[in-house]
Amino acid sequence: MLEFRTAGFNPYSVKYSPFFDSRLAVSAGANFGLVGNGRLFILNLTANGIVCEKFFETQDCLFDLTWSEQHENQLLTAGGDGSIKLFDIGVGEFPVAGWQEHSREVFSVHWNLVNKGTFLSSSWDGTVKIWSPERKESITTLPVHSCVYSAQFSPHHPDVVTCVSRDSHLRVFDLRSKPSAQNHLTLAIPIHAPPKVAVPGYGNVSTGPTECLTHDWNKYRDSVLATAGVDGVVRTFDLRVPSGPVNMLTGHEYAVRKISWSPHLSDVLLSASYDMTCRVWTDGSNVDQGGNGAGLGREMGRMDRHTEFAMGVDWCLFGAEGWCSSCAWDERVLVWDVREYMRPA
Amino acid sequence: MAAERLSSIVSQLTPGQKPIDTITQKNPDDVVITLAIRTPLCKAYKGGLKDTPLDGLVFKILEQVVRKSNIDPQMVEDICLGNVSDSKAAYYVRAACLAAGFPNTTAASSVNRFCSSGLKAVQDIANQIITGSIECGVAVGAEHMSTGGDRLTRPFVDDIVHSGTQDAADCLMPMGQTSENVGKDFNITREQQDLYAAESFRRAEAAQKAGWFDDEITPITVKVDGKDVTLTRDEGIRPNTTFEGLNKIRPAFPEFGDRSTGGNSSQVTDGAAAVLLMKRSKALELGQPILAKFVGATVAGLAPRIMGIGPSLAVPKILTKFGLTLDDIDVIELNEAFASMAVYCRDTMKMDYSKMNPRGGAIALGHPLGCTGARQICTGLSECRRRKAKVLLTTMCIGTGMGMAGIFVNEQLD
Repeated sequence: MLEFRTAGFNPYSVKYSPFFDSRLAVSAGANFGLVGNGRLFILNLTANGIVCEKFFETQDCLFDLTWSEQHENQLLTAGGDGSIKLFDIGVGEFPVAGWQEHSREVFSVHWNLVNKGTFLSSSWDGTVKIWSPERKESITTLPVHSCVYSAQFSPHHPDVVTCVSRDSHLRVFDLRSKPSAQNHLTLAIPIHAPPKVAVPGYGNVSTGPTECLTHDWNKYRDSVLATAGVDGVVRTFDLRVPSGPVNMLTGHEYAVRKISWSPHLSDVLLSASYDMTCRVWTDGSNVDQGGNGAGLGREMGRMDRHTEFAMGVDWCLFGAEGWCSSCAWDERVLVWDVREYMRPA
Repeated sequence: MAAERLSSIVSQLTPGQKPIDTITQKNPDDVVITLAIRTPLCKAYKGGLKDTPLDGLVFKILEQVVRKSNIDPQMVEDICLGNVSDSKAAYYVRAACLAAGFPNTTAASSVNRFCSSGLKAVQDIANQIITGSIECGVAVGAEHMSTGGDRLTRPFVDDIVHSGTQDAADCLMPMGQTSENVGKDFNITREQQDLYAAESFRRAEAAQKAGWFDDEITPITVKVDGKDVTLTRDEGIRPNTTFEGLNKIRPAFPEFGDRSTGGNSSQVTDGAAAVLLMKRSKALELGQPILAKFVGATVAGLAPRIMGIGPSLAVPKILTKFGLTLDDIDVIELNEAFASMAVYCRDTMKMDYSKMNPRGGAIALGHPLGCTGARQICTGLSECRRRKAKVLLTTMCIGTGMGMAGIFVNEQLD
């Protein structure tokens, strides 16, 4: 396990670079991000462990980051003051571009993985905005009317945007549709709806609305997503049958702050939670594991070396398929192999 | 902003926490009240405090604060006096606090937002504690209406008078006229007003007989006509007041209307009240008893000509700020400037009359302008203790068109 200390700053998000197999970025804020500066760390995995190549300072906490898909040295940050900044690692100590339209904290930024020419941001002001790095103003604003903790472009379709928000809904927007009164909104799924198949411990009933803090698209199955939030349950959804969650993965004792589907295995995902653990799950859809394609998910392992709220996780795209990185408010970024923590079924 | 980020994270940890649980939660940084006392309320011009002008009154109440709280006076960093009529109030509170036993390291100031000055003084000290300017302070509300009012000595300047803004011109409107405006605009009849006033007297009389006021009143000894007298009881409460008796009284503002009378309006009164505030962590450190938590206060503005309806704007505003409803409130102290506005506010906000002014109000007890805001806290908390209730809402209308409201949580429940 490799470790890096973000001394004086509490990390919120960690992401591997899509271009370099040994480069990571971590966005952080002083004083747990409540008040004070922010810092963007550019880290390198070297033979001597994790080394900080560079860092950028900002006025307010940085809640999220995303690497540019177009430019190998550029990345975006989501700021607590409503700003989105584009940093270039090779250029000075200030951002090369910035956008200020959100009226409140920006909680997530995400680069379009297919189109590569646009990115989006989501904010406490209840909007998701689509941007282009070449344009000073946003291209589109999607209203959600509730604090949007997480928004993403689909990795399968460049015009599909999803987001989860405080009002316990997963919304799907299709940017190809005419704006109209719906503002591109195609589906609004209540996350707290009863599951398709009765889940042990939850039965078939609705759990009541719960703030949703994070979501992620499955990288292999183009209609499958997972969401997680304050009630500690990771739910998987299939947009072909959107009335309720397909799977409910229970186990976390406190809110789940981040989830990420594996880029290598279609049924595996990682979660980071306020209960200080990062857990690996399978959603039971892997036929090789005897799941028959519609099995119940289960926890496969957990890493509990963090000593504060675990805030971010990201899988490493390159090399052996189990490596990942996690960051937590104990000011540590850990790089570890998931397979070391798997328990027998 | 930092506070909002923190509370959003806290709510992620404790999902489903109802707003009532959020405000009653005990945190080390809460502003708490460790003492809330008041003098008896005496009739102006002829009552027990007629010969005790403002500086004497403030001196007496601050003496009692030192005595009753057992606090080391050095710990008190600021004293804020809410007073309306006396432009020299700042001199008086400074000299009085130095004489009452506070060292010269204790500062003093005065504030004036008319009838809400007492609550504004509490808010002033609380805000200083919250931002870390001070750690411990005393808020005083005091008014010596026997000395006379603070009528403007000249009209407003031409710029204001000729601005064409009716609201600016209405700032000169006498309070009685605003009461008649409320009565007419909102159809509050003379009968309704007298019935309300009779009930206020009945409740105050019952409370006084049952000794409910004993734990909020601190007796003081003052000179009346040259002789020492110890005052222990509110003088405004006229026993055996009936609706029939009130209904016979002539209107007090005949040039403006015929519904408000001396019997269904607040009385002209002398009095003082004081509240000692500090952080919860400080109270525990000093061994001070924690009576209540100050949750928050807010002000709302409206048209001066119907200033009486102020609480009907301030109360929803403060409830919304904390995600509460009137059902979450256990005791309401709504200042009865006039029966017209009291009836209007009670009925428009659909207040539970058993929760509202259970010990009567300003119609029976009196309304020493700057004192009332602090007096309501003393009375409200005493009633919360008696009922073993938790949440107190205090509110008043303010001359020149405002309303103020504050929320407190009683913590003395055993």
